[in-house]
Amino acid sequence: MRKWGLSLAIAASVTVGGCVQTRQYADVQFTPPQGDYKLLVLRPDVSVGSLTTGGMVEPRADWTDQARTNIVAALRAQQAGRGGKVQVIDRRNELAGVSPQELADIERLNAAVDNSIVLHKYLGEYLPSKRGKGLDWTLGEDAVALGRKTGFDYALFLHAEDQVASTGRVVLGVLGAAGCLVGFCAPNVGGANQLDYASLVDLKTGEVVWFNVVQAGSQVPGIKFGDLRTPQGAAQMVDRLLNRMKPGAAIRRAQGSR
Amino acid sequence: MCLRCDLTRRSLLIGGGAAAAALATGTAQARIRPADMVPLIGPGYRPTDKDEMGLWKEMERAEEEISGSNLLIDDPRITTYLRDLIGSVGGPAAKDFRIYLARIPQFNAMMFPTGFAVVFSGLLLRMRNEAQLAGVIAHESGHFLRRHQIRSWRDMRKKTDIFAIGTMLAGIGGGAAGVGVGDYVRLAELGTLLSLFRYSREMEAEADAIGAKLIEQAGYPPVEIANVWQQLVGEEQASAAYRRKRRDRGYDLFATHPAPEDRMVDLRADAAEVTVPGKLYDARRARYLDTIGSIRPMLLDDQVKLNDPGASEYLIKTLALDGWNGLLRFYEGEVWRLRNRPGDDVRAAQSYSAAVVYPDAPADAWRWHGIALLKAGRTAEAKAAFARYLAMKPDAPDAAWVRQMAG
Repeated sequence: MRKWGLSLAIAASVTVGGCVQTRQYADVQFTPPQGDYKLLVLRPDVSVGSLTTGGMVEPRADWTDQARTNIVAALRAQQAGRGGKVQVIDRRNELAGVSPQELADIERLNAAVDNSIVLHKYLGEYLPSKRGKGLDWTLGEDAVALGRKTGFDYALFLHAEDQVASTGRVVLGVLGAAGCLVGFCAPNVGGANQLDYASLVDLKTGEVVWFNVVQAGSQVPGIKFGDLRTPQGAAQMVDRLLNRMKPGAAIRRAQGSR
Repeated sequence: MCLRCDLTRRSLLIGGGAAAAALATGTAQARIRPADMVPLIGPGYRPTDKDEMGLWKEMERAEEEISGSNLLIDDPRITTYLRDLIGSVGGPAAKDFRIYLARIPQFNAMMFPTGFAVVFSGLLLRMRNEAQLAGVIAHESGHFLRRHQIRSWRDMRKKTDIFAIGTMLAGIGGGAAGVGVGDYVRLAELGTLLSLFRYSREMEAEADAIGAKLIEQAGYPPVEIANVWQQLVGEEQASAAYRRKRRDRGYDLFATHPAPEDRMVDLRADAAEVTVPGKLYDARRARYLDTIGSIRPMLLDDQVKLNDPGASEYLIKTLALDGWNGLLRFYEGEVWRLRNRPGDDVRAAQSYSAAVVYPDAPADAWRWHGIALLKAGRTAEAKAAFARYLAMKPDAPDAAWVRQMAG
């Protein structure tokens, strides 16, 4: 009887305990890049850490490097499939013809715009003035100038953070599940967690044309959602984040009416 | 590991919400002796442990961001000066440090885990001599030399781990025995939090002690670092008194840093301990003032615009203990003028007229002196003052207006 109770509790917590969410927005006129285009990927911001028993995140340099390599490889493969040429920039001084300061300015501007998108599109502070306009944000002239100088068609900003539940954290979850036997049921202490987001900027117009967030998390330590440290996990992440780009509302309507 | 910041405290309070049960708390802490504070790292230190390497990796990106920030003051003379200064009080890691000066008009400095420091411009304004600045920088170096960041991270990790496991076991135990343990768990959580804050204060006390030792070795009078805190206490009191509030004295179980009063007492004791009788110390005031001279008007300007007349007035008076000059008198007038209470216009006018007596009076002192004279009906003198202003600053944005006033 008791054994049944335990497995039931775990099964129940699995169904409520973990999920992968993704939600994307696009400019109304957006068509996913296809064919012969040049994509600039600016300093992918990857960080992988270990979730300690007590719930803190301990950054791990080796895991971060692994994940970064995997993500960049997966990104190249994925973009090659669409016909794009990709250049990945790791440091601000690596882009010929553009000073580190200019690149830093673009990155900071983008960070501010991304924050605004997240606030007004994802966190509920919806703006009446932007209703029905899809994704209506721009980096302006600076981004156009960057495109003109470098010849790239698009810039992609990418952020990925992954927390891997440590052994201690998994043990804590197991303890919590074991507690169900005596009436103290706490298997859902929180486990692996992944947050990824990306924004695509059209360097011809300066507009942010597409934005996507993927969140994968598990309340129960020990359940995994694509580990970025493995090539498979990274490929899965890139697939979730970038491979299902939908065209903007106006384009979809036009396609539908045809 | 900043000199005095609330950010750490807030993050500790939030981050420590899930924290563990080592209940060794209490407010009274024994003074840490400078003699016991040996550097824990040598030159060219690189981390070898996984957790510390992870921390360094995160910080690389932070440094790239900070070093390219447009808040930085990149006056080559001052940045070289700061680099040399940390090079002389940085102990064994002297050659490894990087130091950035940010234009933020507040009293603060911080050391990051990888050995780069950020100094706020408000600190440069408040320091009366090189010894005081060296003292603050030595304190920050001390955090790195004593490996405080990784030690406090490990302390936090250990305590949160213990708390998480402890809570779980207590819950299960309570469940099995049929009693609620919620109150005890909350008590343990508080205990954990308090012990984290205590640990943080201990690190600050360590940094103070090693800082005193480092500046003594570099030939600065060690007592100057205690004076820094005395000035800070005075400034906070003046600021609070003006706002008719009581100063937050910082005696608090949730403080990340020791209270300034305690620090002052401990630092005086540290200074007495490390001072070598008969040795000649030099606070190098002239060299300090000469170096920051080019940005001092900007530092004062940023301060008086904070709308904190109590603190600004105290600061200017403190700096003037080493002698008044035209710049300080002018900004004293600016404090009154911007405060604008009844009678302040008269006080400001007096300051401006005192300022223009000094050869280093800024052009704006002549401008405001002229306006005050004009208001007092002393037109001829006002015109002379305006003429002087225009001579000093012919391209001033308001030159046309002043020319009209000067008639």
